[in-house]
Amino acid sequence: MNLYVLSLGFGLITASILAIASVGFTLQFGVTNILNLAYGDVMTGCAFVAYLVTRSGGSLPEALLAGAGTGALASYGLNRFVYTPFVKRGTRMFGMIIVTISVSLALQNGLQAAFKATFFSLALPRPSSYTFLGMIFTSQQLVIIGLAVVAMLFVHALLSWTKLGRAMRATAADPELARSCGIATDRVIDAAWLLSGALCGTAGVALALNVTSFTSTAGGQFLIPIIAAAVLGGVGHPYGAMIGAVVIGISAELSAAVISPSYKEVIAFLILIVVLLIRPQGIFAEVATQKEVVA
Amino acid sequence: MQFIRQRENVMIGQTLSKFRRATSLALACGLTAGVVAMTGGATVSAAPSTIVIGNFNPFSGADASFGPEMVAGCQPAVRLINNGGGVLGHKFSCVEFDTRGDPADAVPAANKMIATNSSLGGILGPSADEALATVPILDQAKVPMFVDTGQAFFDKSSYKYFWRITPADDVKGYALALWAKKAGYTRAAAIFGNDAGSQSDVPTLLKAWKKLGGKMVDNVKLALDQSSYRTEIEQMLATKPQVIFTEIDPQTAGTFLSELQQLKGLIPVLGTEITLQSPWLKAVTGAIGKSAMTKYVTGMQPYAPTAGASWTTFDKALLASKSQVPQPSQWASDPYTMTYYDGVTIMALAMLSAKSTDRGTYNKSIMAVTEPGAGKTVVTSFAQGKAALAKGERIQYVGAGGPIAFNKSHNSSGAFEAAVQANGNVKIVGEVTANQIAALTK
Repeated sequence: MNLYVLSLGFGLITASILAIASVGFTLQFGVTNILNLAYGDVMTGCAFVAYLVTRSGGSLPEALLAGAGTGALASYGLNRFVYTPFVKRGTRMFGMIIVTISVSLALQNGLQAAFKATFFSLALPRPSSYTFLGMIFTSQQLVIIGLAVVAMLFVHALLSWTKLGRAMRATAADPELARSCGIATDRVIDAAWLLSGALCGTAGVALALNVTSFTSTAGGQFLIPIIAAAVLGGVGHPYGAMIGAVVIGISAELSAAVISPSYKEVIAFLILIVVLLIRPQGIFAEVATQKEVVA
Repeated sequence: MQFIRQRENVMIGQTLSKFRRATSLALACGLTAGVVAMTGGATVSAAPSTIVIGNFNPFSGADASFGPEMVAGCQPAVRLINNGGGVLGHKFSCVEFDTRGDPADAVPAANKMIATNSSLGGILGPSADEALATVPILDQAKVPMFVDTGQAFFDKSSYKYFWRITPADDVKGYALALWAKKAGYTRAAAIFGNDAGSQSDVPTLLKAWKKLGGKMVDNVKLALDQSSYRTEIEQMLATKPQVIFTEIDPQTAGTFLSELQQLKGLIPVLGTEITLQSPWLKAVTGAIGKSAMTKYVTGMQPYAPTAGASWTTFDKALLASKSQVPQPSQWASDPYTMTYYDGVTIMALAMLSAKSTDRGTYNKSIMAVTEPGAGKTVVTSFAQGKAALAKGERIQYVGAGGPIAFNKSHNSSGAFEAAVQANGNVKIVGEVTANQIAALTK
């Protein structure tokens, strides 16, 4: 089969992990206005939890559940016990970014101290391979794609058809007005952190599955593509993040096929820059504009 | 195992403040001038005193592990020299000089070492972290140095006091090509990381592979630590290689090889010594499984025989040095520790050969005690060499790390061995000799 067509298929796997991660990232930012740069390291922490689960004989679904649960609790805890005290003191966005960087470094180094600077693989049976339209996928990769589809549908359903989703959108649009309208924004924010954390944990386990060997820095390295996908789609907009993930994931694979693997990231980020030059607020504008992340 | 460090990972200027740069330069200028004035360049005191062998390497910072590896080579050599009556009435001692793995710290450390140690006989080091900044200073001060940098920059060195008995990084390319040819491969793909260290192997690999009649069907610079390499793998497989030459970091290797295994199945992989290091083994074994690792992955590492008269002498002296070297047995098969040991022994024998501890004088005798020649007595220890020289014989020292053959640039590349991972151990499966490499480099 044509290499370019194959690249599209291969890009889907990266895009799937990116989509799960960037939707969680952007959803939380949209509701809370905190750019959480420790997100990648929480992903790594969840991957380590999945590692421990599989080492104890746990299956992939158990590892995924453990990862998602850990991500949800860790994110909730981070917000409650670290970020909220700063927010209540009136710390501005730049200050909060520094706080999240500090948390990121503490998490990364803590994981390294606890697990040592070496490589880990999830202790799962070797996956079977399946050929689909000339492309070969492993069962684990199909699980990753499936998870992304389910997660995206779930987020869509939550935001479109539930009271919580509507409250999240209202809080993201204008927290003061939402509070005036009787929405318990604190609880909405808690829910956003829990949901974002669960997606973060799921993405962390998916990343560990896909790269097969990971270290305490694996999630941190993946943070830039996550942010790129979120920014490309319009920061704070979950649907934008989904599209951004697909664009970044597939363009990276296609550029490796068309130009050179050396330019894989260069091309993906050039596309990001070009899109932002044409449309600075990203593909979906409203939240980014409201959050004043664009001029 | 600390076989190969990221010696090419020189971080000049990455983190230096302007203040530190200015301070370093001022110290460099001032102290170098002082040194030249004080020593006239190179004289070691004529009165019997202890000759200092500087262990000039990082003992703190990110590469702090380098220093103890060096001390583990220096101490057994000094033990044997001192037990053998010393050199021209002088005892030897190993003294640590911490470069912190940073040129900003290494330059003043070099100048301080030269200025404050009138009995400095020579040094081991510098490493890749600080070699570019300090080799010119040390050479100007006429300090013989047995460096442990692998930087290709020094392949054509004109520094008189520079000596390298560890293989340069780019020599690995020749070793890979020779082993692949020996294994009968004709079509190969070069899959190397896009970092400077990995890419330094590629030019010599391409040159050697072509010279040996092989065809390089694909040459890929991999962006490191990506979440997927499937497109690159499909592209590579389309060119139908029989073997993959590689040097990529463990995480990239794990992802790349596991995806290759999933897509079309593995093909033989021939890597540099990094392939045999424990982080790589752990990452890749976790990704492709133990049996695939043994079956498909071969690594080429500098030849470090753990047998023979010279190694046995080294090993005994190393194990006897436990008061200076914690857990000495951990260094017994370390090729760098062996070459540090050899470096000190060569300096001592060269002093005896030149009948002088003057650095500028004995430096000229280093070739004389290492190169082969008709009528020369082959010696494998300081004691044997001292005895032969006392009888007026000409000697060739064969070190713990094997025979030494310096070229015009004072580089001795040595041999390489091919090894595979089997049941948690590195198993040697063959050798590429120094002569084969030398023939290819002509």
